[in-house]
Amino acid sequence: MLDSFEILTTSGVVLWSHTYVPVGANIINSLIRDVFIEERIQPQAEDAGSKPTYRKEGYTLKWTAAKDLGLIFVAVYQSLVHMTWIDKLLDNVRKLFTGLYEAQLKKEHTSMVDCSKFGPYFERQVQELEQSADGATASSSTSVKLTPPSSTENDSAEESAPAQNLQRTQRPLYDTSADSTPVPTPDTSRPTTPAQSHLLTGKARPGGKLSRRDRKKAAGMGSAPVSSGDEASIKRKGKGSAKRNRVWGDFGAEEEDPSMVLDYSQADLRDEASENEALEEIKPETWGRKTGKGQFVLKDLDEEMDAIIAEQNAKKETPAASTGIVGSSLGAIGGLFRNVVGGKTLTKEDLVKPLKGMEEHLLKKNVAREAVVRLCESVERDLIGLKTGSFTTIEATLRTSMEKALTKILTPTSSLDLLREIQTVNAGGRPYVLSIVGVNGVGKSTNLSKIAFFMLQNHHRVLIAAADTFRSGAVEQLRVHVRNLKELSKREGGEVDLFEKGYGKDAANIAADAVTYASKNNFNVVLIDTAGRRHNDQRLMSSLEKFGKLANPDKILMVGEALVGSDSVAQARNFNASFGPGRGLDGFIISKCDTVGDMVGTLVSMVHATGIPVVFLGVGQHYDDLRGLNVSSVCRLLMS
Amino acid sequence: MAWHDKDSWLTAAFAPNISTILISFLVAITLPILLHRWIYRRATPTTLPTFLLIGPSGAGKTALATLIERSSVVPTHTSTAPLSIETLLPEPYVPASAHYRSAGDPAYERARRFLLLDTPGHGKLRHFATKELSNPENVRGIIFVVDAAAVADSAGLTESAEYLHDVLLSLQKRYTGAKTSKGPKEIPVLIAANKLDLFTALPAHLVKSHLEKAVSAVRKSRAKGLKDSAIALGGGDENAIEDDRENEWLGEGGEGEFEFRQMEEVGTGVVVRGGNVLGDGGADVKAWFEWVGEQL
Repeated sequence: MLDSFEILTTSGVVLWSHTYVPVGANIINSLIRDVFIEERIQPQAEDAGSKPTYRKEGYTLKWTAAKDLGLIFVAVYQSLVHMTWIDKLLDNVRKLFTGLYEAQLKKEHTSMVDCSKFGPYFERQVQELEQSADGATASSSTSVKLTPPSSTENDSAEESAPAQNLQRTQRPLYDTSADSTPVPTPDTSRPTTPAQSHLLTGKARPGGKLSRRDRKKAAGMGSAPVSSGDEASIKRKGKGSAKRNRVWGDFGAEEEDPSMVLDYSQADLRDEASENEALEEIKPETWGRKTGKGQFVLKDLDEEMDAIIAEQNAKKETPAASTGIVGSSLGAIGGLFRNVVGGKTLTKEDLVKPLKGMEEHLLKKNVAREAVVRLCESVERDLIGLKTGSFTTIEATLRTSMEKALTKILTPTSSLDLLREIQTVNAGGRPYVLSIVGVNGVGKSTNLSKIAFFMLQNHHRVLIAAADTFRSGAVEQLRVHVRNLKELSKREGGEVDLFEKGYGKDAANIAADAVTYASKNNFNVVLIDTAGRRHNDQRLMSSLEKFGKLANPDKILMVGEALVGSDSVAQARNFNASFGPGRGLDGFIISKCDTVGDMVGTLVSMVHATGIPVVFLGVGQHYDDLRGLNVSSVCRLLMS
Repeated sequence: MAWHDKDSWLTAAFAPNISTILISFLVAITLPILLHRWIYRRATPTTLPTFLLIGPSGAGKTALATLIERSSVVPTHTSTAPLSIETLLPEPYVPASAHYRSAGDPAYERARRFLLLDTPGHGKLRHFATKELSNPENVRGIIFVVDAAAVADSAGLTESAEYLHDVLLSLQKRYTGAKTSKGPKEIPVLIAANKLDLFTALPAHLVKSHLEKAVSAVRKSRAKGLKDSAIALGGGDENAIEDDRENEWLGEGGEGEFEFRQMEEVGTGVVVRGGNVLGDGGADVKAWFEWVGEQL
């Protein structure tokens, strides 16, 4: 069963919600965080058929958005239940809600939308979809709903309907909130009425009825007219119109004008054509709705809902049609003009060319193709349906939007204050362990020594563990670094030492030993160097899991070089996955940034692949050439 | 024909013709009218005083915004977009500027009207707030909402303090970077310690001392931290490079412990007041409304 349904704005205000079973607010919050803000889960394209889903704590969430109005529609249900009609519900509710409250939603400087009357609409949608999903039983029940209680032509013998009719004809159009659960009416009225009404119609005006039936036959409808099935196929509109003109005499209903009857049959014929067409045709005419109301509120709601949905559908189709008609020259000139002056509503076609250019541009900046495609898609999703500001071209709009997307992807979610983390970990009485992994030759040891220098400047006691027991000269290289750092830090007050066990030993054990050695000897930071490994070599990568478990580092940083191209995505992914479940990388160090000029796309590719932030940038050959990431400057470089 | 000919347009313009007189008469009459209309049109969009709602995610910013707007709380979720709300100061509170006005005065309502700008607090979406802070045109005050219960543990405290540090630093930069000797208009900050109804929440004065301590810790680690990559990559604009050259520290040159009192020197009064938007006994936001009234 559906647990909860919420309609909220992008600014976080819940406009309308219906809860069947209480669901914690954190479920939807985490959906917003993971999907909309951090974009960890890729939403599929809308036209892929089904709505994207998100699972959390045994709940499944499906959502859809009305971007131009800044609305998100979320349905929450238990993952155990398989619900096929949620997509349809989301779509219908979106259309209904936007159709009903569009004017209110477009108001500026307010978050208030008075949608207290949305309840009945929603309930009807749920009921309808639930029943239609129920299969065989549903088909009969829906037909009941669509068709009026069968005594269409003259229900003079029927007591309940006229009474209702009299009561309700004066009801205002939208005032339906009082009768929010109008279910039982059709079922109760159905079994009693058909036979009765048939007898009566036969008696009352045989001529009119006959002609009607003939027409029906001509239209190829029912062959057995006196069956209740035939009766059920008569649409409500016909019945409704009959009611409107009924005159109430002293002894119940008076005879009706035969010519009017002919009219109704025509209406009936039209109805039989197709549901949608009928709705479209009925909608503008007030009598259809008014009489529908006369019967019972259920149908009124249905009708209104269908009308709204149809209207929304029509609206979606019209722009395409209008451009088709106005078409060529005038439209094109207008479009060009709009492009210069602004105020143009962006469509997919408008964006194709500028996006292509943007894609090229980013590829030239060494962003991996995958990341480029994703960025462009998210920008496209953002922009479609948007109006360009005055005096801005599509290109300019696209540019600012892309800049925003880049900023969003590069900005870390939480703060990356290494010094503070060290402080908190040390307060717990153990050394802070940081290890560095990466592909061969990207500069792991160099960056490790840069970090060590940074720590020494902050007066930490640093132990460097040489866990690269594979490459010749790796330990010696670190020894040289340690000697240099000792010289440099003599005045500063920090202290540094090397922990080494020679070559050929197991790296994970050395790392674990180094940590215990550090806690015994009062070092408060342990930096572990590891051997470089190819990210797609399963044999080498598998040892990382053991390493992660034994050394249990507080932070695992991966060094990636800015020079690498589209391989960066695979590198980041494989390293992130290599530590086993529940453990991943904590950050990237992008080295050799000084060698690429403005082609710093690797940063974006790596963050895109994993959602893990860039902690440091290596920007030179010296110990102090380690920098924090400045998001805005990187964005500027990428967009320049 | 040349301009000095007898029947050139210039001669006609200076000749005592009927048409010339008429045209000049028309111009003389209509020009002031048009000018007036133009200037009047431009002046009409009166800017409302704005209050910025800033704070880490989950502190209760949007809930507070809806409370101020409709005096009842609606359920809210994490924001992904800013929200601006035009609203009135609720009844018992009197704006400082309208203290001597009678309630029937039409200007009284105008004085109570203000714009509330709610910004998303998620780490990736703070650029909405920082953009607003970098150019605070009509901002009368900043309401920094913190979760008084989250401040009790170190992770929540750090997050709030870092954000607060950035906000205060940008306000200070705005003051010290001003070109005129008068200095820009003051922007006071209200630290609204929200969720005081919770059992674990710290009272307002403890929130204040905790935040002061945490902000000085942030300042210290910022001072020690690595430099920005802006210059090294060559992508920074001039401002960023300038910032880098003369590193600016919050408060009195970054010496000693930070106190909110120090911010008054740079035109930013900081007060901490407690309250709660949700809660069993209804919302208690009296202190915040009073503060807003003082700034209006």
